[in-house]
Amino acid sequence: MVNDKLASIWKILKFNAETKLGFSMITCFLVTVIVEIVGGYRILPYNPLIPFAGPAFSPPSLSHFFGTNNIGQDIFSQVIAGAPNDAMISFFVVMTALTFGGVLGAFAGLKKGVVDEALMRVTDTFFAIPAVVLAIAITLVLGPSPVDVMIALAVIWWPPYARLARSEALRISNLHFVESAKLSGLRTSRIVFRHILPVAITALLVYATLDIGTVIIVYSGLAFLGLAVRPPYPDWGDMVARYQPYLISSPYMPIIPAVIIVIVATGFCLLGDGLRAALQTERGS
Amino acid sequence: MLRGGSAVNLRFVAWRLVGGISVLFGVTVVTFVIAHLIPVNPVIAWIGRGASVNPQLAGVYIQRYHLNSPLYVQYFYYVYGLLHLDLGFSPTKGEPVMTAIFQTFPYTLQILFFTMIFVVLLGIPAGIIAAKYANKLPDRAILGFYIFGTASPPFFIALVLILIFSLILPILPTGGSVDPLLSVPNAITGIPMLDALIGARFGVFLSLLSHVILPSLALALTLFGLLTRVLRTNMLELLGSNFVRASRARGYGENKILFLAFKNSLVSVVTLISVLTIFALVGDIFVEDIFAYPGLGQYAVQAALASDYPAILGTTLFYAFIIVIVNVVADLLYAFVDPRIRYGQ
Repeated sequence: MVNDKLASIWKILKFNAETKLGFSMITCFLVTVIVEIVGGYRILPYNPLIPFAGPAFSPPSLSHFFGTNNIGQDIFSQVIAGAPNDAMISFFVVMTALTFGGVLGAFAGLKKGVVDEALMRVTDTFFAIPAVVLAIAITLVLGPSPVDVMIALAVIWWPPYARLARSEALRISNLHFVESAKLSGLRTSRIVFRHILPVAITALLVYATLDIGTVIIVYSGLAFLGLAVRPPYPDWGDMVARYQPYLISSPYMPIIPAVIIVIVATGFCLLGDGLRAALQTERGS
Repeated sequence: MLRGGSAVNLRFVAWRLVGGISVLFGVTVVTFVIAHLIPVNPVIAWIGRGASVNPQLAGVYIQRYHLNSPLYVQYFYYVYGLLHLDLGFSPTKGEPVMTAIFQTFPYTLQILFFTMIFVVLLGIPAGIIAAKYANKLPDRAILGFYIFGTASPPFFIALVLILIFSLILPILPTGGSVDPLLSVPNAITGIPMLDALIGARFGVFLSLLSHVILPSLALALTLFGLLTRVLRTNMLELLGSNFVRASRARGYGENKILFLAFKNSLVSVVTLISVLTIFALVGDIFVEDIFAYPGLGQYAVQAALASDYPAILGTTLFYAFIIVIVNVVADLLYAFVDPRIRYGQ
């Protein structure tokens, strides 16, 4: 059954040009991340942290693909070195949110009643505070290092997943196989993990794909504001902020890391959109 | 207005208001908990470094905020203070947080207002064209454009706009809120542009206007895709529906049919108001930072960078307050335009 589903999703992926584009963008990104994690700074053309790898302010050229910054560091190497950071943060945040929100939402949707009401009020509260604002407040408690920001984002990222899992659980809980599972006296937790979540996971994963792009945008936004990371750790959002003063004299400096963020986020957007369309077609709606 | 509708209406309004208030209470719990998890002595956190040199002041604070009492008592006084519009004192600004918010928020309102205008000006025509030429080249081009916009962090679009307008087309200012040589008009409504208009100071008004265009445009470019997308989907759905088929059979022209579909899709646009406003509020934080626009977003960021705890918690609460209001108003507005919502399920 799962294989059929994957096959039908794959079919739709294949004939949709946008999704294919998104898929290739994400593949490039992930390959870069893996190569960088395995190889470290050694595989880069220059060490991203060493100043005067080339003359300062040299525009993009063959020896420095993305040019050099104000102290002659190689921007291409910095961009590559920053890739794993964004990838790991976004995957961690989305996976934590998916696990926590998914289980909570599935329980609420299955149990209904007071549990459900309480959960919905809690998610309402989280929806009322913009993620960025709440992340700023939580970073105060934790600190501005990437790990702390990752935790801050994970804490506030789960409510949409809880909502989604709940609505899926409501949809599924009226179906016969859940009814019979209930009648046979299975424990709620078993029904949630064995019957609800395996079905709900498709919708959750599709949403998660779209969401990874959002986390990257929000995280790089926080880094841009100087609330997420301490230089000289190479980080895309932080690079944009530090190179912003040179926008007029050397536009490539802040624009290149920003474009990289846009490309990765666009990739996840396109892929997520395609998957969502595939899911809708598969459900026949 | 509606036959027998008033009773149902009142219940709906009351229910939404209760929901909004309960959410606000939830938010106060969240900010209260955050305030107590701050890894700094609360006295120092709330009055800054002055606490150590001035123990008397610290004593006043401990007494005023009941810092020696149990948590639930502190929470009670916290909410009590909030109900009296007391958000504490902002050490970085040297004035109460509430005063700082009232000074900065009007600037943010200006940006939000013009952002919405740009979103409508960009989003609605794009949505109509996309629906008219569904799956053809114009639709594809619009799709590409808005996916790119949606996937761009606001600071990227802002940087590109600054680059374009300062290098190629130096007609609009790329920072600040008003020409520094002009004096800001006397506060009447508190909103600078309105005050300038009321005081008949058109030079100031034009300067304010020219400074608000780029930040709003940057924000609108990241947001209009949402509107375009919903409008397109809804119009396409309607264009395939029976009443459009009937209108076609009656011999209506294509443009008239398109207009009919557009008019009936407007309800779906209303539901977007709250989402768009919330996204705009968040994006505004980045845009204000780049354009050095002295609004609420810039205040929040500067407070965060300077560890001004009362300001951060105060602005968080204020943002939540605005969002709850926007949500309630949008729900009521939605019920107003769509009776199905008003009457139960």
